[in-house]
Amino acid sequence: MYTHNGEDVFVIDGHVHLWDASEANIAHEGGEQFIQCFYDYHTAFTPEEEQWDMETYRKYGKEKMVDDLFRNGHVDMGIFQPTYLSDFYEEGFNTTEQNAELAEEYPERFVLNGSFDPRDGEEGLAYLEELDEKYDLQGVKLYTAEWRGDSKGWRLDSEEAFEFLQKCVDLGIENVHPHKGPTIRPLNKDAFDVADVDDAATSFPELNFVVEHVGLPRLDDFCWIAAQEPNVYGGLAVAAPMAQNRPRKFGEIMGELLYWLGEDRILFGSDYALWEPDWLVPTVMEAELTPDQRDEYGVELTTEVKKKFMGENAAELYDIDIEAKKAQFEDDAISREFDLGSQYVDSAAD
Amino acid sequence: MAATDPTEAGDDASSDEDGGGEAPPSREAIVERLRRVDDPELDRSIVDLEYVDRIDVDGDRVTVAFVLPTAWCSPAFAWMMATGIRDEVGTLPGVADVTVDLRDHMHAEEITSGVNERRPFQAAFPDAEDGVDAVRHKLDEKARLARQHAAVEALLDAGLAPEQIVALDRAQVDLDADGDRAVVSLRDGSVLVPVDADPLARYLEKARAVGLAGDDHLFADPAGDPISPGAFETVQARARAARVNVDGQGSVCAALHESRNGTAVDD
Repeated sequence: MYTHNGEDVFVIDGHVHLWDASEANIAHEGGEQFIQCFYDYHTAFTPEEEQWDMETYRKYGKEKMVDDLFRNGHVDMGIFQPTYLSDFYEEGFNTTEQNAELAEEYPERFVLNGSFDPRDGEEGLAYLEELDEKYDLQGVKLYTAEWRGDSKGWRLDSEEAFEFLQKCVDLGIENVHPHKGPTIRPLNKDAFDVADVDDAATSFPELNFVVEHVGLPRLDDFCWIAAQEPNVYGGLAVAAPMAQNRPRKFGEIMGELLYWLGEDRILFGSDYALWEPDWLVPTVMEAELTPDQRDEYGVELTTEVKKKFMGENAAELYDIDIEAKKAQFEDDAISREFDLGSQYVDSAAD
Repeated sequence: MAATDPTEAGDDASSDEDGGGEAPPSREAIVERLRRVDDPELDRSIVDLEYVDRIDVDGDRVTVAFVLPTAWCSPAFAWMMATGIRDEVGTLPGVADVTVDLRDHMHAEEITSGVNERRPFQAAFPDAEDGVDAVRHKLDEKARLARQHAAVEALLDAGLAPEQIVALDRAQVDLDADGDRAVVSLRDGSVLVPVDADPLARYLEKARAVGLAGDDHLFADPAGDPISPGAFETVQARARAARVNVDGQGSVCAALHESRNGTAVDD
């Protein structure tokens, strides 16, 4: 657990992956380019001394991930967000099943999200049911720009997608995480479009839509939609590491998010292994708005606000009782392995 | 001409056909001309962004190589920049032929050959859903809104009230009044207010590009409609968000460019 100015901050990393981009798993040149592009993002926003080598980055494995999140990373819980990319990788890049290998080992520490692709039709609906039955899903990560055969993507407001969203409602899967982030997909499809989230969020008020990467580079459209739709949230993955080498820009983005969405609808995510929480969590916790930003937006980036997006808001969406979790983590497998139990004991005594 | 400065369109059209026996252009002249080509998403010149990798001049033949922050940058954006380079340098006196060379991009071959052979975007990318002009227009609309924020802030700084700002038309603004100061005329010219000219000039350039000439109203909401005084604050907040978005994306690209290509860009 992270401590900020003597105060405990329960960290739920809202966006983590266990991916495999090893050369043996690459099925299409797009797979190689994809991981190279990720690596560019990694090096661009990671302090030099924290950067990984490419071989590690391709496939880091369960053990390293557990170390990086819990032993060294200040993370108390992580939410797996799968990214299938089945056309690019033989066994998929970061599937629910791959993530489950770790999530099932430490079920108290991970939330395992599933995924769907409306282009899979009936088979896809059956797969979503199967995932839900197996893992009791509370959320899905959606990658609308994924290639599938000749198709270069899909829209969240299509008839087919609505069928899957209705299935989520029926199955009690409440949290939908569409990736709306920087352009790593070719061509111009959806290049700056978050409009499909608007229609979906209006049509499914019982679902929560966490727009990953806060729509960058469509932050303004995202903010405007989120201001109208109370069930739209912003995931900070990609925005967060800007706190490290573009702190002023990070402050502006936080100013916009707090201005339009407020402090209850922002969720932290490291996007691990794009970036590592060990340096990212402290960097974000230390981030401040400049006086002119506070003045311009009329908002504050206080410890209370940070505690909300660092964990409390995700806990709300995923029905996580933070106090009960702290009690549990006094003596769970991870705390025993890394000798972390005492920090939760101290915390409970507060 | 997609990625070129619209205010310069048609300039030097007579020199398009061949070099006309003129002296080969200097490298400096080529760089100056390339300033007119922008990254449409970031609303900044490819020269300032350090995308230009190499310029070769062989008599009246010029080759411009450029590289983008990632190999995955949108092909539509890359296409706009490539055609911009081709068309802008192609209209320089003394240039008979321009070859564009996009490097280290996943669609380098399609874009380089497509632009050099003057094929349409859709021929090079049959999968593309939107034509490149439609994409350009959307980006220009965003850039216009982002630039409006700075222009309106300048007017507020100069002492204008929101209801005066939303009621302004183009005829009330004299950009060339006095060096870096523009003059805004209010109350039928009985009051003249000096204003920082640059944000207004930048705004007007982009407003023209999206067909907002400002004859009736200088400023507009995101849909291009006049702003009612009651909506002033919301529209200005949305314009600010558009500016933060463009600048934020600029930072992402600058960091990627620095990391991949070792080029530090002031963002």
